[in-house]
Amino acid sequence: MTMTQDQIRQYVLTYLETTECQFLEKSPYHVTVKLSPRADKDLTNRPYYWGFIERTGVEPETMTFSFIFDAERHKQLEDQKASSQREPSPQEDTILGRHFGAVRPLPILGPGRIQREEMHFGSPRLKQIFAAARQGGRSVYLFEDPGPRQRSTLLPAAYEPWLGVRLKVEFSCDMKREELHFIGVSLRTGQIDTEFHTRVDGKILVPRMPENMHISPTRLSLDQGRQLVEQTINEKVQACDTTWADEARERLNEELALIDAYYKDLLQDPDEERKQAVMEQYESRRGEIRWQYEPRIVVSALGSGIFHLRSPLGTDIDRSR
Amino acid sequence: MNPHPPGSAGNSAKLPAVPVQFDRSWYDDLEAKLNKGGPWDDWKLFNLAGQAEAASLVTSFEDMLCLKHLPEEQVTPLPHQTETARKVLFEMRGRAILADEVGLGKTIEAGLILKEYIVRGLVRKVLILVPASLVLQWVRELNQKFAIPAVAQKKEYSWQNDVVVASMDTAKRDPHKEILLGNEYDMVIVDEAHKLKNKKTTNYQFMLKLRKKYCLLLTATPVQNDLSELFNLITLLKPGQLGGQNDFASNFVFDKRIPKNESQLKGELAKIMIRNRRGDGELEFTKRIVKNIHVELSPEEMKLYDGVTSFVKDQYHAAGGDLNSMLSLVTLQREVCSSRDAVFVTLVNLSKKLAPDSPLRDKIWDLVGIIKTIKANSKAEKAMELIRGMDDKVIVFTEYRATQEYLLNYFRDRNMTAVPYRGGMNRGKKDWMMDLFRGRAQVMIATEAGGEGINLQFCHQMINFDLPWNPMRVEQRIGRVHRLGQQNDVQIYNLSTKGTIEEHILNLLHEKINMFEMVIGQLDVILERFEKSDSLEKSLYKILLESGSNDEIASRVDSLGQSLHSIRTELDESGENSAQNSRLQQLLEVDEA
Repeated sequence: MTMTQDQIRQYVLTYLETTECQFLEKSPYHVTVKLSPRADKDLTNRPYYWGFIERTGVEPETMTFSFIFDAERHKQLEDQKASSQREPSPQEDTILGRHFGAVRPLPILGPGRIQREEMHFGSPRLKQIFAAARQGGRSVYLFEDPGPRQRSTLLPAAYEPWLGVRLKVEFSCDMKREELHFIGVSLRTGQIDTEFHTRVDGKILVPRMPENMHISPTRLSLDQGRQLVEQTINEKVQACDTTWADEARERLNEELALIDAYYKDLLQDPDEERKQAVMEQYESRRGEIRWQYEPRIVVSALGSGIFHLRSPLGTDIDRSR
Repeated sequence: MNPHPPGSAGNSAKLPAVPVQFDRSWYDDLEAKLNKGGPWDDWKLFNLAGQAEAASLVTSFEDMLCLKHLPEEQVTPLPHQTETARKVLFEMRGRAILADEVGLGKTIEAGLILKEYIVRGLVRKVLILVPASLVLQWVRELNQKFAIPAVAQKKEYSWQNDVVVASMDTAKRDPHKEILLGNEYDMVIVDEAHKLKNKKTTNYQFMLKLRKKYCLLLTATPVQNDLSELFNLITLLKPGQLGGQNDFASNFVFDKRIPKNESQLKGELAKIMIRNRRGDGELEFTKRIVKNIHVELSPEEMKLYDGVTSFVKDQYHAAGGDLNSMLSLVTLQREVCSSRDAVFVTLVNLSKKLAPDSPLRDKIWDLVGIIKTIKANSKAEKAMELIRGMDDKVIVFTEYRATQEYLLNYFRDRNMTAVPYRGGMNRGKKDWMMDLFRGRAQVMIATEAGGEGINLQFCHQMINFDLPWNPMRVEQRIGRVHRLGQQNDVQIYNLSTKGTIEEHILNLLHEKINMFEMVIGQLDVILERFEKSDSLEKSLYKILLESGSNDEIASRVDSLGQSLHSIRTELDESGENSAQNSRLQQLLEVDEA
């Protein structure tokens, strides 16, 4: 999987907006922002500076970044701008200039400096933003926006609390495949939704409980919710094609057989000390091979949360009864 | 990364379900926040996290993902490199010998494989062992071309980094050895792995003990003299691939240089080794076209040459024929073929070292006097004429700083932009000079040819303003321009001054060993054989200092050339005809199945 330059642009812009960075310049090919303290901490990798700011209470000076999404187009744009604005300045005859022709402008250091970053899939800066999003978006507690009409009606409406967990399943041997799942469990009814994203997509979710709403009591504890999630994903995983694992085990056994054949004679060494050394080597080779090939499945969560969703009209009857 | 599998399933035949591990840290996190009532994260970031994960998801077991993750413009792998990476990943399962011939990009292949595993989350901890001189180059390439955050090992704590590049000599010594052997590496890469051919060496023993999941060994010469070298290398990767030591000896070895059951052995090798060769498919190199240009010295220049020559010879005889104390003086002799400026600097430095009343001072000042009479540099004029004539990018190589400065001035005064390049420049400046050359200068004047980093595929004209006496340095110069990715035939112009030692040297390199048109990688082998006793450079010094006349020089250089020539013929024959070596080398050739 990958992202197009346009998707990258959307992604970065959303991140910058969410972290409340200050936009200074924006074109389809680039964006220049003064980072918010939060984004600065995420991206500039200067914990000592922030430690100092926090201890002394000084006003922080965050860094300014230009993120370039299309280097070529951006350059064209800049060149156009430059040629229309600047009158030709007389060629300065510096010593360097005499040697090398036109001299590059020196980079500006300190405040006022704009760090330039070309963003493409796989660039370290984009990865850093990915990591910041993962770090900053792990657990949520949200309410579906009931809309303005609810506030003025007399009857309070009810929320159904859901536990939603976004999971990554890694199938690995010497190679690897991954799956993403977003599973929801209603803590009121125990209903399971394996396509939880379709349930929440398109809904407006807010962090504070709106007026004139109440939360239906839960039947399931959080722990029971977790068990249901794990049970569900386990069933899904077991239903997957296992050819990959069978093949990996086959390879593993072939490799182990080779190792056995190689060490068979060496392990007959009459010299006890040498035999011991060979034994150690033999065990560590076998260990390495198992480490490399043995199939295993790891399930981890990328994020989780409690989602208070309005029960769809008419289904507000407890079905588990 | 990817912890060892739990429990011990061992060899047991029938398949239990694959164990599923649940990471429950999310649950503790959520529960704690519920109890405390927050703080809660942002919904938008929650979604961004999901998108990031979806974009980086490894959706299939067998699909190269790394190409999408490479910094654009930095590297475009060639088809044979991508193909090699694919084979290593999906057929050889990450344990392989990369044995491409020199210059085909083994580093790129290794980088692709490493990147793929990192992208898939199968590798985090990496150890890369290379000769000390290549450490920084590896670090740079991995960072620039592959965006892999590799660091060079400098201090003990450097080992804590995820991707460390170190020299084998450091790694195998205490205290480093203990640290490394106590670790587990997701991947180990060894460059110049032919240094691991001998089982008894500490290098080899160290590698045996190192614990690793995936492993790449890079070498252009996996087998040179003895079949057991191959066996030892493979044992590091996959013990048993060729059976036990005894099986190997009885199945595949007729004599240590002659394999038996060759096709079967080849089959086994193909499972673990990949060798791309020049001339396979797309990997054709363009031609080298050499032109020697003989420059007539002006009478003043000739006078200086003769003056310096007799000065140097006198000193040599005065020193009783001791070559080692003479090196700086011999330099004079070489510099005089380049430019008066180069001679001048050395002479001045020489006189500074002398006692104030030394009689040598007068002699030196006499020479300086001659220098003053020289008004023009015949070679520079010739070079200028050449460059004007070709109207194309050209790189000029000289051995001397002073000559470089002189040429920069000379060209500038004649309205030609030239940029300098030398070893002492820092990385940033070197890159800048490269950019200027690519973008706006017609000429680059370089004193350094060694070291990676000057890759000038966009230029196919080069001038050797003076010739190094070490043929490897000549080859390095040519290699900057004549490399994979060069689209045009490369024009090489050698400037040599008539009636000087330079003429003889050029004659030796060009006529006798024909090195300018030699296959890359061949020269090392010839020199290695020749220089068992003395380096070629030193032999030349001797000839120069001991010969009485120009004719004597000519005949002695000639006999030197004879012996080089015969080594070459010998090698060519052994490559083509001799039963022994060829059968060893044939092993490395892949039959098209």
